[in-house]
Amino acid sequence: MTGFIQQIINGLSIGSVYALMAVGYSLVYSIMNFSNFAHGGIIMFGAYFGFFFMTLYKFPFSIAFIASGICAALMAILVERVAYKPLRDRRAPFLYFIISAMGVSIFLENIIIATIGPTFRTYPEVFSTQPIKIGNMAIGRIDLTMFIISAVFLVLLIYLIDYTKIGKAIQATSFNMKASALMGINTDFIILLVFGLGGFLAGLAGVLFGMKYTVYPQIGNITLKSFIAAVFGGLGSLQGAVIGSVLLGIIETITSGYISSQYRDLIAFVLLIFILVVRPMGLMGKVTEDKA
Amino acid sequence: MNILEVNGLTKQFGGLTAVNDVTFDVERGSITGLIGPNGAGKTTIFNLVTGVYKVSGGKIVFNGKEIQNEEAYKIANMGITRTFQNIRLFKKLTVYENILTACQYNANYSLFEAMIFGLVPKRFKRNSRFYREEKQLKEQAEELMEILGLEDRKNFIANNLPYGLQRRLEIARALALRPKLLLLDEPAAGMNPDETEKLTELIAFVRDKFDLSVLLIEHHMDLVMEICDKIVVLNFGCKLAEGTPKEIQQNPEVQKAYLGGGNNA
Amino acid sequence: MLSWYYLKGIIMLAGIYLLPVLGLSLLTGFTGLFSFGHAGFMAIGGYTTAFMMMKLKVPFIPAILIGGLFAALFSFIIGKLTLKLKGDYFCIATLGFGEAIRLLLDNIQYFGGARGWPGLPLKTTLTTVIIIDIIAVILLRNIIRSRHGRNMIAVREEELASSIIGIDTFKYKMISLVISAFYAGVGGGLLGTYLGFLQPKIFSLTRSTELTIIVIFGGLGSLTGSVVGTILLIALPEILRSFANWRLVVYGVIVVFIMIARPEGLMGGKELSFDIIRNLFRKRVKEVKAEGGK
Repeated sequence: MTGFIQQIINGLSIGSVYALMAVGYSLVYSIMNFSNFAHGGIIMFGAYFGFFFMTLYKFPFSIAFIASGICAALMAILVERVAYKPLRDRRAPFLYFIISAMGVSIFLENIIIATIGPTFRTYPEVFSTQPIKIGNMAIGRIDLTMFIISAVFLVLLIYLIDYTKIGKAIQATSFNMKASALMGINTDFIILLVFGLGGFLAGLAGVLFGMKYTVYPQIGNITLKSFIAAVFGGLGSLQGAVIGSVLLGIIETITSGYISSQYRDLIAFVLLIFILVVRPMGLMGKVTEDKA
Repeated sequence: MNILEVNGLTKQFGGLTAVNDVTFDVERGSITGLIGPNGAGKTTIFNLVTGVYKVSGGKIVFNGKEIQNEEAYKIANMGITRTFQNIRLFKKLTVYENILTACQYNANYSLFEAMIFGLVPKRFKRNSRFYREEKQLKEQAEELMEILGLEDRKNFIANNLPYGLQRRLEIARALALRPKLLLLDEPAAGMNPDETEKLTELIAFVRDKFDLSVLLIEHHMDLVMEICDKIVVLNFGCKLAEGTPKEIQQNPEVQKAYLGGGNNA
Repeated sequence: MLSWYYLKGIIMLAGIYLLPVLGLSLLTGFTGLFSFGHAGFMAIGGYTTAFMMMKLKVPFIPAILIGGLFAALFSFIIGKLTLKLKGDYFCIATLGFGEAIRLLLDNIQYFGGARGWPGLPLKTTLTTVIIIDIIAVILLRNIIRSRHGRNMIAVREEELASSIIGIDTFKYKMISLVISAFYAGVGGGLLGTYLGFLQPKIFSLTRSTELTIIVIFGGLGSLTGSVVGTILLIALPEILRSFANWRLVVYGVIVVFIMIARPEGLMGGKELSFDIIRNLFRKRVKEVKAEGGK
């Protein structure tokens, strides 16, 4: 039984970091209606920013952490300007956005391989590896930190979206961009803001991930799973992304705990197909009928 | 004899009832007008008849067969086709290709036959179904272009045509199916009086030439009053009146709805 | 120095990859559906072919065709489940499918798991590749120039209008998907018997994306473009081996650039057909004659 609770706790910890990434997919989807596959690349860069801030420049963890978030946010905004803005101006079909995003993702991953190299890099030890003992259970300090930090930032994000004026503007834009623009909302700014927010959280998630595991160029492949979580919860819904992420985290840790860690990734993708077939709008998504 | 019978037709979007218990007929060979203020549910009725939307309630009978649960492409193949309010051509294809694609209805050769006979010298395939039918399709497409006066624009990209000709091309494409019932959704929208005049002639001509029935949504009252045998008036999703153009013109309810009588809004 | 042996290898590789690219060209370029899972179909074709040859001793050509059919069968199931989905959900589903296939193969020890399956017979020759390529191009051209191909293009251009003129849009999407998966499967079979081994890693998401990129690079709706795109994007980087690491970086830039600046791709939906060449030639002759007459 303690084993099971242990798995749930690990699952929550991983799931909360997935959530930090998944909300980035969801935010962009809610405004621009496409899956931003470049997000994985931003997360990977976040992990590298954190790594170099801490090893090369010897920043303390907290500063390196926030700085990585900011750098990642700027990068996300840059990607938007370069790869999506021209398409937006031309009103290109959404598939062009996806392809462009894939292009960016390939570029980001491989520019790292070509310059820094494909090697795995380990973060300096920030938190002691000595776990916290509660009864029979051992909770890793990193896992606990990951959970707490992610939870704090997710709460902040949801507060920002639900209770502030700017959040209301984001919601209005996601509901109807044209009408919002007519009502005097600067939708171009909202889009930048959404990319910035998503990018910032992606940077944080990247650092947390790098700390827990290692940093390497293909880290973006792991981030695909947070995309699955976003689809699982319902693309475009923040709450859905969080719930989907936590569920996916728990499903994964239970799979690796009780079946085999070999099948952990497989389960995630099978789940993706399953959810698309059974309930494509996800757990929290809405059913819509197109108007012809 | 009626070609189309709509009986108690209802469509709800969530809580909104767009079409509410509407009943009317279209007589074979007639031109029937469907009029009403914006948002009255006219285009929704077209979408229901052509299977684009699923009906919430009621029956649609075409040629004696119930079609309200059929898929759009099957309804088209039974003989109902339409044009769209916001023209939906194959924009990047030429005039000829638009019509040729729609002619496909008249051919039966299989994918396999196409793969085998596509690139074979003529003398070997002359007797194949593929060759015969392809030739026929091309002749039909040419013929339709000629009838609708589009032959000199054969290789124009549809999107580059002037507006009036785009509407004409959409009608040509619909006619390629040899329909028994043609639904026209605001064919004269955006046309000047001269173009509208020509369109009026075209609709009557097409009806006689292709031996079909027409159901027509239109705001240009001159056109409606001139060519319709019968008019159905809708308001807020419900049928308000039905009758000959003369009857409709004198109907006080209709006048109130159109002049916005105030107390019914 | 480029030896013939080396050059032959590159031509064969490009010829093999041409098959999944052609398949994807039909699906994406002519039917308007995007797939990020075609490496998965290649994997199914490759492993099925290997299984047929190694375990059941089926001869080479039938084994490859069975590989293709198996990929087609899988695509049929995927299509049944997901082709009705709206928006980018179909392409997300194909992404999930492709990755699931790769991860599944990673775990099937019978096929060698993640380490791969070595010792496959090296049956693929330059002649086979070229013959299969030519057949593949001709069949595809025939499809596209028939009413069936026109129906697919109609679905790509305007789905609602297609159904209103009597085209069963679901059926044509399905036909396109199944044919494209068959092509990919045959390509996978050829690849395995060319390399002599198979590894799930070969069929990653990046590979699927690469295939889509080639199609877009060549130009959506142009078979000629797909052929030219394959030759340029598969063969060139192989020749410039020393830039291997930068190859994908350049790919990324090219993709974004094409999307922004030239979404119609290299050929812009046009075909290079014999008619065009003939016309060009005639024009030259006329010009020459006209000049001669002066």
